[in-house]
Amino acid sequence: MDRVIHSLRFRLISVVLIINAALVPLLYLGVVAIVEEGYAEQFVNGVRSFSRLTADELEAASDADFEQRGALLLDDAMLTGQVVFTEIIDGARKMHSSMSMEGNAGRRGDDFAFGDQGDQVYYISQAIERSNHPVLLRLGFDESPTLERIAAVKRRILLAVLMFTLVSILVSIWLSTVIARPMMRLREAAQRVAGGDVHARLQMSSTIAEVKDLNHHLESMRQALVGANERLASEIREREVSERKRLELERQFLHRERVATIGTLAGGVAHEFNNILTPILLYSQLALNDTPADGARSRDLGRIVAAAHRARSLITRILTFSRQIDSQGTTLFSLQSTVEEALALLRAIVPANVEIVSEAVTPDITLRGDPSLVHQVVINLCTNAYQAMAGAGGRLRIGLSRVTSDSALPGGVIQGALLEVSDTGEGIEPQAIPHIFEPFYTTREVGKGTGLGLSVVHGIVTSMGGAITVESSVGEGATFRVYFPLGAHDGSDTGGG
Amino acid sequence: MAAILVVDDEVDVADAIQAVLEHSGFAVVTADSASRGLAAIERQQFDVVVTDIIMPKVNGLELIRKLREIHPRTRIIAISGGGSFGPLSLKPDAISTHAFIAAAREAGAEEVLTKPFDMDDLLAAVRRHLPN
Repeated sequence: MDRVIHSLRFRLISVVLIINAALVPLLYLGVVAIVEEGYAEQFVNGVRSFSRLTADELEAASDADFEQRGALLLDDAMLTGQVVFTEIIDGARKMHSSMSMEGNAGRRGDDFAFGDQGDQVYYISQAIERSNHPVLLRLGFDESPTLERIAAVKRRILLAVLMFTLVSILVSIWLSTVIARPMMRLREAAQRVAGGDVHARLQMSSTIAEVKDLNHHLESMRQALVGANERLASEIREREVSERKRLELERQFLHRERVATIGTLAGGVAHEFNNILTPILLYSQLALNDTPADGARSRDLGRIVAAAHRARSLITRILTFSRQIDSQGTTLFSLQSTVEEALALLRAIVPANVEIVSEAVTPDITLRGDPSLVHQVVINLCTNAYQAMAGAGGRLRIGLSRVTSDSALPGGVIQGALLEVSDTGEGIEPQAIPHIFEPFYTTREVGKGTGLGLSVVHGIVTSMGGAITVESSVGEGATFRVYFPLGAHDGSDTGGG
Repeated sequence: MAAILVVDDEVDVADAIQAVLEHSGFAVVTADSASRGLAAIERQQFDVVVTDIIMPKVNGLELIRKLREIHPRTRIIAISGGGSFGPLSLKPDAISTHAFIAAAREAGAEEVLTKPFDMDDLLAAVRRHLPN
């Protein structure tokens, strides 16, 4: 019900009805008043001129035939059918038409106004000059035919007014439909859009300029929304893709790190065992040398030597087995792209509060060797760096540059590439710095690190003929500098050393 | 009597090498770090230096390079950590055997032995590099 009351159609029709109710009676009454006035005037004018003519004829009559002439005129008047009362008053004598004796009876003859009251007769008195004494002509005219005509006209006016009201209501219904229909269409389209069919065009076929304009603007709004929606959707897809990529990189990183840790651990243990086996082998062989070959002691020492040899081959097998990531072998490779590859992995791991800044070197430096080793160096150094900034966050800077013949360079590097990894972390205690590259040395809590990362880096760098230095003070971060020699390792070099 | 310097941060290894070489009649001095080894070669000239490569602080390669500068005629035998040090996921023996041998040879070592080695191999290597 509320919906109907507030609907556009109901309101439009109501307004038309209210306007009709206010104006139609006024219109009707006004028109009727004019019509009545007109008819009354016409009637009165007719009556007056008729009376005047009759009076003139009576005046012109001679005294001798006055009475006869009077009677004749009164009869003529009666014969017109309009006059219902006739009287001539000459002093004390009254003269009436012979045709209206009963019509005159009881008539008071004092209704001098036109209208539907009293006896519906309009009376008029006309003074006539007769031989120095006044004679009065009185006539009564029937009003009813005129009144009937007025009533008929009033009925026609009423009918016309009612027709007007009816037409205006029909027009309002039609108009409200014309305006409401496009809105209904719009509502349907909006419902489709809301229901998910965002590509449903908003089409309000209407000839009304405002509605067309509204449709145009709503349609461009819909198109803008569809565009924004598509942009959002593609952005979400992109994010999903990059998130998947990030997770894949993270997985790769963790896998590589785990494998590297296992390998490093195995390698570190093997290193220690080889160190332990060396004196066992040497001392037992020395003792075996001084012992007669046929005794039980010689046999026992021989068994020690054999056991040490077995241990040596077992270690070799373990090392072969733990070789999980295929080395890329010795090749020419771009230092820049190897470092960038490692950084791509790191970006997936490094927490958001650590900013990674990398500075490239131009032209690129080509090294000869195993790129996966350099990869491991970058990963290990950066992992250490961001872990040193854990919690507070900070900046991790990776720089590449070319260094040339400086005898002061550590490791005796003459010409080479310099990889710098610096952090803004907690720094390294001065007493820890001399031990930092030793295997199993760690300042982290038990279980937080293997203590092998930097020794691995040291091992790789040394094996490549390079060098590594560290510079740090507590609270001010640390900078690791790795020098890779060119010369024999640099394929781009002209001579090579 | 030939003078031999043995440098290894693993004292047990250095002692064992010393025992073997002394038993064969060589005069042996040991050092437990590259810097002590450097101090020793500044004091005395050796016929042969047997040195480990991976050692804390100053590594064996630097020692070899310094030695080449100071005593170019001294013969050097490098002993590597035994096929094993470094990120072993990344081809372990590539580092110790090939890469270390290459690095050590490049630095100036005449020969590279991989731990653990047999007594005979050690003696053969030392004898190979003695003048007579």
